[in-house]
Amino acid sequence: MSPVHAEAAARQYLSFGLAGEQFALPVAQVREIIEFNGLTEIPLLPEFLRGVLNLRGAVVPVIDLAVRFGKGRTGLARRTCVVIVELPDAGNAPPLGVLVEAVHEVLTVEAGQIEAPPALVGGIRAEFVEGLIRAGTRFVIALDLRQILSLDDLAALTGLSAQPAAALES
Amino acid sequence: MARDALVQEARELLAAMENALLEIEAEGASPDAINAIFRAAHTIKGSAGLFAFDRIVGFTHIVESVLDRVRNGTQPLDEPLMALLLECSDYIAALVDAIEARREDIEPDPERRARLEDALNALLGAGAAPKAPVAVATAAPEAAGQVEVEGGESVSSDNWHLSLRFSPDVLRHGMDPMSFLRYLGTLGRIVHIVTLPDAMPPAEEFDAESCYLGFEIDFASEVDRQTIEGVFEFVREDSDIRILPPHGKVAEYISLIGALPEPAGRLGEILVKGGALTQAELEQVLAHQAAEPVPAKPIGTLLVEREVVPQAVVAAALTKQKQGEEKRAQEQKFIKVEVNKLDALIDLVGELVIAGAATNLLARKQKDPQFEEVSQALSTLVEQIRDAALTLRMVPIGEVFQRFPRVVRDISRELGKEIQLVVTGADTELDKSMVEKLSDPLMHIVRNAMDHGIESTAARVDAGKPAGGTLRLNAYHESGSIVIEVSDDGKGLDRERILKKGIERGLVQPDQVLSDSEVFRLIFEAGFSTAETVTNLSGRGVGMDVVRKNIEALRGEVEILSRAGQGTTVRIRLPLTLAIIDGFQVMVGESTFVIPLELVVECIDVGGHDTRHNIVKLRGEPLPFVRLRELFDLPPATGVRESLVVVQYGQHRAGVVVDRLMGEFQAVIKPLGLLFNQVRGISGSTILGDGRVALILDVPNLVQRASRAQAALAWQGQATSMPEQTGGNS
Repeated sequence: MSPVHAEAAARQYLSFGLAGEQFALPVAQVREIIEFNGLTEIPLLPEFLRGVLNLRGAVVPVIDLAVRFGKGRTGLARRTCVVIVELPDAGNAPPLGVLVEAVHEVLTVEAGQIEAPPALVGGIRAEFVEGLIRAGTRFVIALDLRQILSLDDLAALTGLSAQPAAALES
Repeated sequence: MARDALVQEARELLAAMENALLEIEAEGASPDAINAIFRAAHTIKGSAGLFAFDRIVGFTHIVESVLDRVRNGTQPLDEPLMALLLECSDYIAALVDAIEARREDIEPDPERRARLEDALNALLGAGAAPKAPVAVATAAPEAAGQVEVEGGESVSSDNWHLSLRFSPDVLRHGMDPMSFLRYLGTLGRIVHIVTLPDAMPPAEEFDAESCYLGFEIDFASEVDRQTIEGVFEFVREDSDIRILPPHGKVAEYISLIGALPEPAGRLGEILVKGGALTQAELEQVLAHQAAEPVPAKPIGTLLVEREVVPQAVVAAALTKQKQGEEKRAQEQKFIKVEVNKLDALIDLVGELVIAGAATNLLARKQKDPQFEEVSQALSTLVEQIRDAALTLRMVPIGEVFQRFPRVVRDISRELGKEIQLVVTGADTELDKSMVEKLSDPLMHIVRNAMDHGIESTAARVDAGKPAGGTLRLNAYHESGSIVIEVSDDGKGLDRERILKKGIERGLVQPDQVLSDSEVFRLIFEAGFSTAETVTNLSGRGVGMDVVRKNIEALRGEVEILSRAGQGTTVRIRLPLTLAIIDGFQVMVGESTFVIPLELVVECIDVGGHDTRHNIVKLRGEPLPFVRLRELFDLPPATGVRESLVVVQYGQHRAGVVVDRLMGEFQAVIKPLGLLFNQVRGISGSTILGDGRVALILDVPNLVQRASRAQAALAWQGQATSMPEQTGGNS
């Protein structure tokens, strides 16, 4: 108990690799990490929605952040994982899966260790980035999931991509 | 939680009240119906009183007073009063809504309340004159202790004597006898109290929710009888409450002892112990009792609570008692279960079905005949459990239909049209979760039919139709779906007008040939309205496009049939359940899809059939089809022997071309969620025995697509006489 309280000022981040960069998410938003074990693709959806998987009976959508960042599809390899995230203030929004190349470690970050992001970090829109975590000589990009996974935003995107299908129909 | 229960109970009672009022309007007053109304108002008041929701208590109290006059025949139940009572029930509903919204401290509509209360009070004022003699009669026993001699000598006790036998249901009605006693204690001093457990059954028959206790109380207080009676106001109906004043007459004690269920000797002892009677008085009472048997009808005697009552009330009370018994018998057939618990059960059954499928798969792989047999037996059981669990959530559609008699009555008056409502198939069952979502769309369709469909009386007479219009609500089951129809015998849809409007709005090409049903479908387009038909009545915020969206969100379909001059039918088709289905598994490449089995007609081999223009000729009939591979843009495959699954939805058939047929299995429907709302051709997902997720095909959508493609083709290619060509090759 007490160590956790002692570190209340510090935050913990889960770091992972994606499209050749190192990224991180607050541990508080991560529900679990599962090994990639295949998923079901859903036809006619934009590429960043890779499909759905079965998480103990619940059907969970899986998102490819690399596609969302405009860096092409994430390749599937031995270390590919799906990080299941839950947004704390999104009410009872369903969990989402994030496809990552590999999960690295949990970083404990003091408040002073986070720097405000420059306008463009490694070609990623600034609103997607919460800050830069200095870890030794390198930087890890802390992502703002709320912005990236803004459901309305995503749903609107899928809506757009469904348009061709609708056109087919009429 | 208790608040929710109150709200729900009040709504049920209001519905019963409204039904009874409408029944009276249609068939004339009956004691049953009047009692039902009175009971509803009384119970709402009682329950609200326990929570101290004073606004509702105050209002229902006045309503109840008027109803009381109606019940004992001093106030005729005429047309204006009916209208007033209906409006009062609406206002009580508004008060209940306020409670649900936790805004019970705010009066929903003070003006309306004042107006209704004035009208009610006017009736009470006017009714007072004929009531006067009764009032005198009830007042008489009040003074009896001092003045009247008729009942024989008075006893010497200075205390009130209360005999309470609570109804066994009192706890179930949410009332605690203790709270009444505590309240009584605030009005005076309880000198002596004896608890009578005599009604307690043997332990094995004991029901923890029943109240078996009676009390004999001697009570010293300066308050008057009415105040004491008021304490037991909410239990007075079912419970046996007898109150004897200080210096009550011996005769009263005689009949009291006679009327109570416990043996006379035992009661006598209690009375003496409590000081209500002296030993001498008791002996006198018992002697009397032995000499002359207790009057056959203790109700008619001087018993205080029952007073001097008009014959009508006695009759009413008797019928009510009978109803109460019938109701109790019914209650034993039902138990109330929280919806959450049911949902949790259904979820578990869903998991069981998935686990069962996994076991089955394993059994087949192992090729162990014994294992296969056991797993087969298990599957059969799981299937039965699934069906049984799903029926738990099924409710009769009557729950939705019961709102409509009132709606039709009100709207027909508003419109000045004479419209009769005929309801059939109200006991057809469907999933509870759908019932709630069906109410608004149906309401809109009904309003539309009454406003635009049914003509004015004059126009009907001119057209040679009966002056009164008829609106029908019908429901029935058809091949795994429930069908709900709203029909009117009005003027029908104006095909030309709708078509013209559709062309104006660019929804239809001017030279396009459309079937009637395609034209009628246009009214479901957003913002589609033929200008002359807009009135404030139907413009209640929802358009027909919203109706369609609501129904489609339930995986259902709306269809319109209409004939000029004869009427219109709106037909809604919904799946029976939203939770678990029998599925038919098919594969295209590496992807697995599931088709609801009840929609599958047959499977045929595509090889050897002419499949040009995506139409195949099947037993002489052209059948449009879709290739899932093309539709979903799946990677092409070579050397597959394709199969065609014939599906049917409503009246339409179509084919779905797939690579492989995998067979039946039970599919637990998992919604895909907001992200996938827009995906056409897929209605949900399910989990296969091996843990993978499979997508469920949206058959209505596929059938619609295939038929549209066929229609478009027929329209383009009429000159090429395509059907003959295919006919030659098949």
